[in-house]
Amino acid sequence: MTMLRAERVTLGYGGRPVVHDVSLDLTEGGVGLIGESGSGKTTLARAFLGLLKPMSGDIWYGERPLREADRRRFRKDVQPVFQAEALDPRMRIGASVAEGLPRHERGRVAELLEQVGLDPALAGRRPHQLSGGQRQRVVIARALAVGPRLLILDEPTSALDVTVQARILDLLAGLDAERLLITHNLAVVRRLCRTSYVLFAGRVVESGPTAELLARPAHPYTRALRDAVPRLGGPPPEASGRTEAVPAATGCPYRLRCPLAVAECERAPELREVADGRRAACHRAADVLG
Amino acid sequence: MIEVRELRVSYGGRVVADVPELDVGAGECVAIVGESGSGKSTTLLALLGLLPDAEVSGRVTVCGVDVLTAPPRRLRELRGARAALVIQSPQAALAPSTRLGVLMRRALRLHGREATDAAMAEAMRAVLLDPELLRRYPHEISGGQAQRFAIALAIALGAEVVLADEPTSALDVTVQAEVVAVLRGLLTERGLALLLVSHDLALVSTIADRVLVMKDGAVVESGPAATVLATPAHPYTRELLEALP
Ligand SMILES: Nc1ncnc2c1ncn2[C@@H]1O[C@H](COP(=O)(O)OP(=O)(O)OP(=O)(O)O)[C@@H](O)[C@H]1O
Ligand code: SF4
Ligand SMILES: [Mg+2]
Repeated sequence: MTMLRAERVTLGYGGRPVVHDVSLDLTEGGVGLIGESGSGKTTLARAFLGLLKPMSGDIWYGERPLREADRRRFRKDVQPVFQAEALDPRMRIGASVAEGLPRHERGRVAELLEQVGLDPALAGRRPHQLSGGQRQRVVIARALAVGPRLLILDEPTSALDVTVQARILDLLAGLDAERLLITHNLAVVRRLCRTSYVLFAGRVVESGPTAELLARPAHPYTRALRDAVPRLGGPPPEASGRTEAVPAATGCPYRLRCPLAVAECERAPELREVADGRRAACHRAADVLG
Repeated sequence: MIEVRELRVSYGGRVVADVPELDVGAGECVAIVGESGSGKSTTLLALLGLLPDAEVSGRVTVCGVDVLTAPPRRLRELRGARAALVIQSPQAALAPSTRLGVLMRRALRLHGREATDAAMAEAMRAVLLDPELLRRYPHEISGGQAQRFAIALAIALGAEVVLADEPTSALDVTVQAEVVAVLRGLLTERGLALLLVSHDLALVSTIADRVLVMKDGAVVESGPAATVLATPAHPYTRELLEALP
């Protein structure tokens, strides 16, 4: 059984749902969460961390709902990795890392800094005296302090330039902890997540093994994502011309932007198995798979 | 629209950005690429006179305003209306207790622009944002929505110069494509001058006319984007290109 999973959760703010009926299992090998900006990825991460109560459905932590779980044990098991901007600017690096440690283990700071490839001599510095990549390593060291089994990472490398990003990815790939990783960078999920979920307008529109899902998408939105990645020396990104800002309120939420939309799409598609281990919510998944 | 000569920014004698020459004309896009901490963002801020604690020397002209010598009032007129700054994480910079719609309306009025609901909704839709979001507070939108709001604001203000620091880093690539297409449209139709800081070299290669590569505060290479990114002369530029996924 997996440590953490969402079962048909609906999440929202002030009574307004933004994530609808999502089931997601944090299986081994890393789980990637990709999708539209504003589609509910961070909201789901908050729910997995117990920071947001589902409007319906449940987050399961082992055999019981997260809301009934022992919070201390949960925090030892599951740790968030925020963007480096979240570090307290006044606090020295060593103190930031030590915060996560029980008092008698505070001596482990140097060891943790070394584990993420930082010189322990940096412990006396403050965040602004480090580079962006170094700060991101500090955030990871902090999360690792309690020895978590699962990391929840929301855009851990998006603020970093490519050379630094590559080194942080190496670091993450080498850790023992499992991960839920949110990113807009498809190369990052390809590298770090065996399974991926694609979100659009608060719904899972496709899920499956990352490599297959990106090589042969089953949903038009996943395909659009893959095709919109800019290529070095390639043509400028093209506007689709279907610039509908608001997802369709009825039927398939993607239909106002979808190049394959047909009359049938006015009826909402169910998320269903479309190939071995792969699910998609599209009436024309078979055509998209080709 | 932007003309920089011998710009040097330092803190306590330590030089953090040294840019001998940088020009962005109307309808042009110039990109600055390089490692974090290499001086890219510092350069952007210096162009708008936004580094009060730094020692800044050289000559910087933006929309005809001599930024390093202009009185504060002229700088305030320049910033916002004629030259807009779009930062990577605008959420923290937006007044937390003011709804987005009120923020936008105020900014438009302040600079004597039309602030009708229709004009504001149009600017939002241009970056694929639901105009409904104008009723929300800054902490009630996602990171990518905040980035797009900052761009919508620059569009609505009709800025002639946009200085953008990683303006699409929080967007998925389909939305990024739409936003970049909008910016490209403004380059050709309105003669916008765009100075873009980005670590996405692939994206830069598709929209920038010229590129500056910065490392440790210095410009190590510059030239037409097509040349620099296809046949990089400096080892550091090669390193950046090799790190591409
Ligand atoms: N505190 C809040 N109050 C009200 N609405 C919110 C709040 N936080 C987020 N939302 C809304 O919920 C939806 C999902 O937001 P979320 O932050 O989960 O998106 P995301 O997928 O992480 O987006 P991004 O890729 O831009 O970070 C968005 O429409 C957003 O505007
Ligand atoms: S159901 Fe129809 S509109 Fe929706 S993604 Fe599939 S083809 Fe497009
Ligand atoms: Mg988010």
